[in-house]
Amino acid sequence: MIELQEEFIKIAMCLGQAIVLLFLAPLVSGIVKKTKATLQNRVGSSIFQEYYDIFKWWSKPTMLTPYTSLIFRMAPCVYFVTTLVAACMLPNFFGGQITFGDVFVFVYLFAIGRFFMAVSSMDAATAFGGMGGSREVYIAAFVEPVTMLAVLSNVLHTNSTNIAGMSLKAGEINFTVAGVLTAVAFFLVLLAENSRIPVDNPDTHLELTMIHECMTLEYSGRLLSLIHWASQLKLLVFVMIFSMLYLPINLPVVIKVLLTALLIGLIETLNNKMRLFKVRIYLAAAALMLILAVVAQ
Amino acid sequence: MHVKQDNLRGAANILSDGGLHPLAAMFGADETKRGGGLAIYCLFYDAQKRDIKTLKASFEDENDLSYQSLTSLMPAAAWYERELHDMFGFNPLGHPDLRPLVLHETFPFEFHPLRKKYAKDFQIRGKRDYEMMTSQGEGLYEVPVGPIHAGIIEPGHFRFSQAGEAMLQLDAKLFFTHRGIEKAVEGLTIDQALPIIERICGACSVSNTLSFCQAVEKLSEAVVPRRAWLIRTLAQELERLYNHVGDTGNVCAGVGFSPIISMGARLKEYLQQLNESFTGNRFLRGLIVPGGVSMDVDDRLLDEIKDVLREVEATYKDMVHIMWEQSNFLNRIQTTGRIKNKTAFDLAMVGVGARASGMTRDARRDMGYGIYDDFDFDVITEQNGDVEARIKVRIGEVYESIKIIKQVMRELRHNDSEEIKVELGELKKLEGSWGITESPRGDNLHWLMLDEEGKLDRLFVRSASYPNWPALTVAVQGDIIPDFPLINKSFELCYACIDR
Repeated sequence: MIELQEEFIKIAMCLGQAIVLLFLAPLVSGIVKKTKATLQNRVGSSIFQEYYDIFKWWSKPTMLTPYTSLIFRMAPCVYFVTTLVAACMLPNFFGGQITFGDVFVFVYLFAIGRFFMAVSSMDAATAFGGMGGSREVYIAAFVEPVTMLAVLSNVLHTNSTNIAGMSLKAGEINFTVAGVLTAVAFFLVLLAENSRIPVDNPDTHLELTMIHECMTLEYSGRLLSLIHWASQLKLLVFVMIFSMLYLPINLPVVIKVLLTALLIGLIETLNNKMRLFKVRIYLAAAALMLILAVVAQ
Repeated sequence: MHVKQDNLRGAANILSDGGLHPLAAMFGADETKRGGGLAIYCLFYDAQKRDIKTLKASFEDENDLSYQSLTSLMPAAAWYERELHDMFGFNPLGHPDLRPLVLHETFPFEFHPLRKKYAKDFQIRGKRDYEMMTSQGEGLYEVPVGPIHAGIIEPGHFRFSQAGEAMLQLDAKLFFTHRGIEKAVEGLTIDQALPIIERICGACSVSNTLSFCQAVEKLSEAVVPRRAWLIRTLAQELERLYNHVGDTGNVCAGVGFSPIISMGARLKEYLQQLNESFTGNRFLRGLIVPGGVSMDVDDRLLDEIKDVLREVEATYKDMVHIMWEQSNFLNRIQTTGRIKNKTAFDLAMVGVGARASGMTRDARRDMGYGIYDDFDFDVITEQNGDVEARIKVRIGEVYESIKIIKQVMRELRHNDSEEIKVELGELKKLEGSWGITESPRGDNLHWLMLDEEGKLDRLFVRSASYPNWPALTVAVQGDIIPDFPLINKSFELCYACIDR
């Protein structure tokens, strides 16, 4: 009976954490945007703008074309829920070490979300949607093995495939060759996974160049709000993982997350989007670093 | 040269001299009221003589408007002939692609708005076919884009035929907002038409107005005073400057290179504010009038121009430096959207697009209009014909423009004549006259004729974007579709200019 109660508390803490992260995610995206604006000599919108946007879409009616199926309505929910579950699996900042956070499950939760988004992009049968879906899958095919390598490199170091277990030993990561290489490579993966420059451009209005945004063009209202919110949460989850497991600096997590957000803003300002077919070379570079890191261990 | 309809092709072949004199424009005129039937005019550049050669072909019977198409002889004629087909009902025999161009599905086929028998307020609705070019095959598909776009730009429909990400073919459906300006100004006096001409396009209002004014001035004996030409030259170069500076930044929007976009936008704003203190209008409107200019410049303005230019030149140099430092950016622009020299030549391209493909064409030098001969400047050319070449030409021209402005300002300070406008007096009637200027996008050519009462009988506007639009559809072939916005922006083609 007591065990059951403990389990219950653990689950509640996990969910609590996910919800806290969910409500912090738009702020982190807002900080990235503000950083970019400042670096480009613009005033930019407020760091809370993302909250207003989500609220705005949430209160608007959802328009659906009659040609879409159940998948179209389902996909944003799946994307949102899988991301939320992934957020539950992060090392818990309420202190509990929860055991269900296997890193392989974590990686493939995102794959489920992406699969549904890619499928739904073709549902409305618009040319842009299909284009976006095909590009997303093309990039995912390269991102996924690299993400697994990044995970593997960390697993070798920590001897654990449990995120909580990994985070226990994460404090030991210091400036070793393997540690730094893995951190850099994971950061490249983070940019690719979250559709940032140089792989994708989250701020563009040019449909022909879009990847992730292309898939959301047919969405409106609450469904659109869910997709954007989930994307922001995904970014925060990746930033958290990067800060907690990979960034070889001993600082409070909040500071590390802020630093990472600023770094993303900086990288996005310094770079431009690369040619679509060069993305695999970019990811190959990340893979190479990770192989070196694995060998170095 | 004046020929009958059957000899149009032969005469055009002789006048173009195997492509030595490229086709500058081709348009129709309805002279039935004077008993002259219909006519097609062909204009050819003659850079050696710094002149434009005119070929007129008469069509006496308005029910027999067939002639041998020029398109197989000079591909540049393709669009002109399609437009003649729409607007007058001319029938070029052997034209490879005689789909409608200007008039879309909502107009009946037998409606030819530029014929004089249709009044200006004539209203008609109907139906015709407008088929887009498509391709069929295993795994091929089409991507329709527009006419309404995500950005705040003018309407245009693009149909891409795709094999995966590769663009096989692009067809552009434009002219959505055709305003019928050529028809609207018929029967107006020069003064009434001027504000309309000035508003053909925002980005080249100086150039359009000046082309028009030159055409008018050629019909008069009067000589435009030198001080007026100095101010006109200043306005033209300021127009080139704000466009080129803004466009350099804008190209980078195609690859999400945001610091340069912001810098370009900022510099353009400085220059447009300068335009406002110069003429009271951010697009330099209201300055150029037939016979001269409407307002003089004083030393205070010249000082302001000098200050702004110093600031702009320094920041622009920084901006260019950042661009060429970025290897990732260079990777995007090199070999992308290539136009071969031969293609540019065949399509009789103009402006930045032509010069980036190794054609040394610049109306300021070739046509020697105004007082450009007195100033020292270079015509910038590049050979590769890709996006990078077009950016480089633009950057080079920014510095050349600044060079010209400095020379003009030096002379303006020492030129203390007060004469900035001359009365044109009696204008020649029933005589064709052309004016040409080099706008930021290439040369703008206007041709006009006055009727017996001194009112406009026919005005034809061949803007710089007109010959360059078809080149865009050639440039994209072999590139991938995510590169299209970049290629498109590197040409910086104007919708309003062709929707005249």
